[in-house]
Amino acid sequence: MSFGVDRSIDLRHDTICMAAASHRPSPIAWLIAPAVLLFVLFFVLPFAVMAMMSVYSGNPVTNPNAYPTTRHYERFIFDTAGIFHDALWATLRIGLVTTVISLLIGYPLAHWMARMHSRLGHALALTAVIAPLLTGIVVRTFAWMTILQDKGVINTTLMSWGVIHKPLPLMYNEFGTVVALVHIYVPFMVLTLIGVIGRIDERLEQAARSLGAGRIRAFVEVTLPLSLPGILAGSLLVFALSISAYVTPSLMGGTEVLTLPMLIAQQVGTSFNPNFAGALGVVLLLVCLVIVIAYNRILARLSGEQGLA
Amino acid sequence: MISRRSMLRTGAIAAVATVGAPSILHAQTKTLKITTWGGKWGDIMKATVLPAFEKEFKCTVQADQAFPFMPKLQASPKNDPLYDVFHTNSNEQWSALTEGLVMAKITAKEVPNIADVYPYAVSDKIVGVTIFTSAIGLGYRTDKGIPVPKSWKDLADPKLAGQRGGYLIPVNSLGQCHLMMLGKVYGKGLQDLDAAYKALEQLKPIKLVDFTGQMEKMLLSGEVSEGVIHDSGVLRYEGANRQPVEFCSPTEGVMALEQVLNVTPGSKVKELAFSYIDYMLRPDVQKLLAEAVWYSPANKKVKLSEKYDARLLTTPEKVATLIQPDWKWYNARKDDIDARVTRILKG
Repeated sequence: MSFGVDRSIDLRHDTICMAAASHRPSPIAWLIAPAVLLFVLFFVLPFAVMAMMSVYSGNPVTNPNAYPTTRHYERFIFDTAGIFHDALWATLRIGLVTTVISLLIGYPLAHWMARMHSRLGHALALTAVIAPLLTGIVVRTFAWMTILQDKGVINTTLMSWGVIHKPLPLMYNEFGTVVALVHIYVPFMVLTLIGVIGRIDERLEQAARSLGAGRIRAFVEVTLPLSLPGILAGSLLVFALSISAYVTPSLMGGTEVLTLPMLIAQQVGTSFNPNFAGALGVVLLLVCLVIVIAYNRILARLSGEQGLA
Repeated sequence: MISRRSMLRTGAIAAVATVGAPSILHAQTKTLKITTWGGKWGDIMKATVLPAFEKEFKCTVQADQAFPFMPKLQASPKNDPLYDVFHTNSNEQWSALTEGLVMAKITAKEVPNIADVYPYAVSDKIVGVTIFTSAIGLGYRTDKGIPVPKSWKDLADPKLAGQRGGYLIPVNSLGQCHLMMLGKVYGKGLQDLDAAYKALEQLKPIKLVDFTGQMEKMLLSGEVSEGVIHDSGVLRYEGANRQPVEFCSPTEGVMALEQVLNVTPGSKVKELAFSYIDYMLRPDVQKLLAEAVWYSPANKKVKLSEKYDARLLTTPEKVATLIQPDWKWYNARKDDIDARVTRILKG
């Protein structure tokens, strides 16, 4: 009897201790606290301010006459100016094309680096991939301008050789913009993919080949599906960076390229309309969220739900 | 005999005084917050002009060179604005006035040197006071065998297809001035937008940039043979720095690119702000800056050296060729114009 009583006391004591432990923040929570704080301060709060500004006629903090309105969203949705929908489509198109090309260039490179046995070779290749990141985006874009413009390296060389008689349209269009963006963002794709491909057990591919699969089939049916998490992460990273790019499309696009970030900068910097700029920012974010969720689900389904979603 | 307690107390007071002295001194010194340009202008301002002002008026000047200034002023409270003196081009002053962020007029009562400026500097097209102006005309290469331009219409020469340069009109006031000038040259006047749009269509293909520095680079590299630019962007390439570029003031007149100073109504140091504007209009300061960056001084009493005097707008006759845009009119329809020109120039 007394034994039973003692046991029940022990159990209650254990339960109380577990409850107390569950209420105490784990050490990992303290470690992520700075990141959460930064996220709240520099994303959630500014986004909330931007979203609030987008539904006001002016700045409600400095202008007491500012009133709630949906006119900024109506301006975008009805697009009587005839440029906003085009700008959104151009933004997404440039983002998608840049992502696909970065993947096509980055995947083979990452695969080669991940399977490299020479430490020195790996270090040199990694340095080559990282090197562009050591230079600012503006400088890199200006470098592309000197290469692609009408009097640039390519056109001048081809014309001096007599291959062409008038400059090729390499700049002031989407082509030039995408070329410069791919150069800037390929390292992000490669660095993301190296880690994932490096963790795939090479013996799985060897097993597939010993069972009769050719090189290509072994890659397509074994390595590629296993690297889908890296493809997803790298693609989302490059896509997010591309659709929010401002400097490169502005300098490389000329009159042919107008993206939402360029329109947002125009509204803030030269039309002095932060409210409409806020509405454009919210639209861009919502459209991107829809695309990212859809992409995530499609890849998860393709890879048989390998922890992607 | 010094006790341990008194020594600790003395040490603590000394430490507090050492740490606190700069901030106490700073609190006693007035601070003037201004906007100003970077580049060579900014170098001279920081090295010479501002230190001399600080010394004379016993103050500190905080100069913001990070453009754009207007959104930052918009975001600050009107009764405690981010800037005391707002230096921008004229179009932005009009936008600021619309939002009550700058004063409508500054007179010789507040800034005595205004009595000596050319009329354009305080005309009804100006909010605040102009301290310098540039002429917007055509820059061209002298080594490409193109005819020397005389008129704004020469930019439409078919031989210049793909070799002419302009600005992204929504973001650059030189582009906006050019559009208005097209209305004047091809239509009934600066406000004839239909004629301007039609003329703009005829300028395609045209290479467009978003700031004047980039136009300079395009002219210098030969990427364009002729383009819209302000005189100082071309005239500065002289002497040892000589380049095969020249500036043309078209016969129809040049558009004014004004450097305008104004005071924010909520400034806590208004008197100091007016003193700063007065200082910037002094003949010696005007001469120094004008000859450094090839800007035409607004003060009539400034005597520039011969080579500058020959090229800049320094006489009533030369000043009469300046055409001042009506920015109030333009800003009121900027969104519509932006959309229209974007559609025209795309594709």
